[in-house]
Amino acid sequence: MGSLALVARLVLADVRRHKVQAAMLLLAVTVATATMALGLSLRDVSDGLYEQTRAATAGPDVVVLSGDKGPAVTSALTSLADAPEVVAHHGPYRIVYADLTTRDSTSSSVVSSSVVSSPVVVHGFAETPGAVNRPLVTSGYWVRPGGTVLERGFAAALGVRVGDDVTIAGRPYPVVGIAVTAATSIYPWAAQIGPGGGPSDSSGLAWMTRSDARTLASSHELPVTLAMDLKLRDPAATEAFRHAHRVPAVRINFHSWQFKATQDMVILRDSQPILVVGSWLLSFLAVTGVAALAVARAAEQTRRAGLLKAVGAGPGLIGTVLLAEYLALALAGDALGLAIARLALPAIASPTASRIGEAAGPTVATVITATILALVVAVLSTLRPTLRAMRTATVSALSAGAYQPRHRPWLTALSALLPTPLLLGLRLTARRPDRAVLQACSTATTVIAIVALLTRYVQPERGYGPDGSLALPNLRDEHDRRLMLAVAVLLIALAVVNTITLTWTTAMEAQANMAIARTLGATPGQISAGLSIAQLLPGLPGAVLGVPLGLGLLSIFAAPNWTVPPYSWLYGAALATLLATAALTALPARLAARRPVAQALSAETA
Amino acid sequence: MQDAVLAMLAKEPSHGYHLHARLRRSLGPLGESMNRGQIYVTLTRLERAGLVVGERSDGLPERPERKVYALTPAGQQRVAAWLAEVGWPKPDLAEFHLKLAAAAAARLADPVELVAAQRRELLRRLREAQRAALAEPAGSGAGLLLEGVTLRLQADLRWLDACERAWSKADDEVEGG
Amino acid sequence: MNVSNAAVRVRGLVKDHGRGQGRVRAVDEVDLEVPQGQMLAVMGPSGCGKSTLLHLLGGLERPTDGEVWVAGRRIDMLSERALARMRRRSVGFVFQAFHLVEELSAAENVELPALLAGRSRRQARRRASLLLERVGLAARARHLPSQLSGGQRQRVAVARALVNDPLVVLADEPTGNLDTAATLDVLKIFEELRSPGQSFVIVTHDERVAATADRLVSMRDGMFVDDTWLAGSHPRGLGGLIGLEG
Repeated sequence: MGSLALVARLVLADVRRHKVQAAMLLLAVTVATATMALGLSLRDVSDGLYEQTRAATAGPDVVVLSGDKGPAVTSALTSLADAPEVVAHHGPYRIVYADLTTRDSTSSSVVSSSVVSSPVVVHGFAETPGAVNRPLVTSGYWVRPGGTVLERGFAAALGVRVGDDVTIAGRPYPVVGIAVTAATSIYPWAAQIGPGGGPSDSSGLAWMTRSDARTLASSHELPVTLAMDLKLRDPAATEAFRHAHRVPAVRINFHSWQFKATQDMVILRDSQPILVVGSWLLSFLAVTGVAALAVARAAEQTRRAGLLKAVGAGPGLIGTVLLAEYLALALAGDALGLAIARLALPAIASPTASRIGEAAGPTVATVITATILALVVAVLSTLRPTLRAMRTATVSALSAGAYQPRHRPWLTALSALLPTPLLLGLRLTARRPDRAVLQACSTATTVIAIVALLTRYVQPERGYGPDGSLALPNLRDEHDRRLMLAVAVLLIALAVVNTITLTWTTAMEAQANMAIARTLGATPGQISAGLSIAQLLPGLPGAVLGVPLGLGLLSIFAAPNWTVPPYSWLYGAALATLLATAALTALPARLAARRPVAQALSAETA
Repeated sequence: MQDAVLAMLAKEPSHGYHLHARLRRSLGPLGESMNRGQIYVTLTRLERAGLVVGERSDGLPERPERKVYALTPAGQQRVAAWLAEVGWPKPDLAEFHLKLAAAAAARLADPVELVAAQRRELLRRLREAQRAALAEPAGSGAGLLLEGVTLRLQADLRWLDACERAWSKADDEVEGG
Repeated sequence: MNVSNAAVRVRGLVKDHGRGQGRVRAVDEVDLEVPQGQMLAVMGPSGCGKSTLLHLLGGLERPTDGEVWVAGRRIDMLSERALARMRRRSVGFVFQAFHLVEELSAAENVELPALLAGRSRRQARRRASLLLERVGLAARARHLPSQLSGGQRQRVAVARALVNDPLVVLADEPTGNLDTAATLDVLKIFEELRSPGQSFVIVTHDERVAATADRLVSMRDGMFVDDTWLAGSHPRGLGGLIGLEG
């Protein structure tokens, strides 16, 4: 207990003394775990929302869809309703394929939205819902003669509200209500099946009374299909039911509720890799940034380990003390990240308004995975200095600084190829290859993020309007684009913090050397240029490698026919990243180069 | 001086000029001012005291520079006694100390000024010794001797610093009071 | 004395450290002229301002008041950049703590100022190896400072200070961290490598180091209290030092 209290005291003292580092670790771990938890939770949340919508709308276990209509189909469907497994049914009902156009509404005074068209499927329903598939009205009323109810996801995409008028197949209908159902896939896949059983366009869902639907279909000779909703005795036995009831004569599709639940994930198909891969990259940046700071503290840690050894602490206690601060911060960041994920989940897991319910929090498995990620970040970024601190002999740990300079002839050889100012920069400041590797990784990660973002933006867009018109935006693409932008912004922000941290720690470490160089006649300009170059040079291979790495990573997750952005863009982005790095390093480098020489020299002696 | 010359003869009998050369070699630049006459004067005194005997080389006139000198038993005893002796030359600090005290008491001179003058003198000596030491090759016997000289002077200079501090303070007290 | 003849000249030099109540006057109205070719030692107890004086002469610190002239040019008003250029050509520093770049070999340390002064790689390398040879470290040119003894490190530092053949070498307790033998080595190197017309200003508290100079100024509380000319042969000769004559 005593040692635990000691560890806690030391950790608190450390955090207080190294506020910037603590904040950075906390922030980086928070961002990484939040992103990862979001990515891992999407499926669960999506399933959960479907479940809740299904429960609230008496969702059918099986929806039987026929591409045709007519007596044969009707009788085939009706006979299914009599099957012994079926405990309740709804239908057969009409599905009419039409076009819906919004109108410049005079009733809604908010914004006169422009006119938007979309394919729509109209379900003909009873005015009093039955036992199965009872759409939940979220605002307004259920269908009544002459009035239509729009599916909520569709209404949201159109920007239509109760009281607005829409035109369906040329005839105006007031929107009397907005509802959700678990019987169809989410917007824009409400059609599920095209006329004649063929493929369907992106379309929304609207309900009318049965007679209105019949009138609509017949007055314009619109394509019509039939569907029926079934409730089974055993909701899980949908597969068995399907196999048992193949109807050879007519074309019939069985859509089980499980299938619909899975379909909901289609809209999130790319979101998950964006978030999960994004969280890996964020963790990677977190490791590089925190490692840079941890290396800078290595000497102090080594001294502390020596001190603890000298007073008789065992390796276990020493390891705990050295790591505890990082682990505690990582766990705090983990908790924060999970909380943020919990709050952001509803918006991210359900880009359409087609489902209702509360998004459940991250599952235990997700929490564990995120926590492991946080701990791995903490351990990886501090492992080297910690191990070194524990291995260093007590006496040398107490007396000497932990950093033993090493001659790096290759660096000298490399610098000999460069013009003199660069040579000096390299010789005086770029003495830590580990830090150069961190900088290269950081730059590469930034470029990967930018490549992904550019790629996202050059993909051909197909909206949800008629013939892929962008008047109705592609919700999935838009969602992914927003997610990717968010992840990329986080990545770039972390990379910026990393670059500044790396430059500053390099500057602090090279402070003595820079002061010496100034006594030898190096100008402050040369010193700050040297510092900037020390960061830029490793950034160069990082930026160049980032392009193929980014494309490679995308090729794993992207659609098979994805468009590669022009290489001039990609390498332009790499160049821009380098220029931004140069600009970012300039300020800390300038500040460091302006420090009075005499002061730095006497600090060195002390 | 006498003891050193005797001790040098303990190895083997030697000509006076040879002795002079050996002494000069041991003293290095410090021995430059020592002339051969001093050696002969010393040898003559030692011979008179029965500590050395000079044997004249055949067929040459009886002049000191022609003689080969050797230790007598009495001379050998004296060398042994000299080696066993632990006496050490006393630096004469008391005289300077009293000079300062007297100067201050009689208001003949400012003791701080005296110290400064003495300091300058010692520094010049130290400079001579130090430059001579720098000119010596590493590991030479004379270098070792010069090291002793410089350390000695350094010690004296530090004592002068102490004197200066003490007498400046005395001055201040007089002025203040 | 002619201004142009002075390597270093200061007039009414004042330097205060700190502000307000905690202000300390490190250098107080100092006038000094170091002619070309002179070796000047500055002695004084620690904290008397002698290191600050040295920093002021080399433009590492700026005076609170007064003028500093180096090589006939006033430097106390120069920009940092101009000061750096001045140091390359005119000033070489030697420090008590050596202040070598720890990650660079002896040869690389020595060639650093030459490269800064714009010499070609080859020239810099040649000059560095020549100087290392003259300080007796040719065999250790590729060693890192941490692989050298204190005396060897300081010899590297002296070689580095001399690589651009500066008009004045400013040495701050150059032997403060060295034993007697290493001290003698460094002093010998000062003596041997000093080119005609080159001035040295050595700050020290070691009388033996100070005694190698031509002239000694003593400093107390930021002011000069004594200025002694040491050069010139001593009337009594060296033998007098051990009481040989008389």
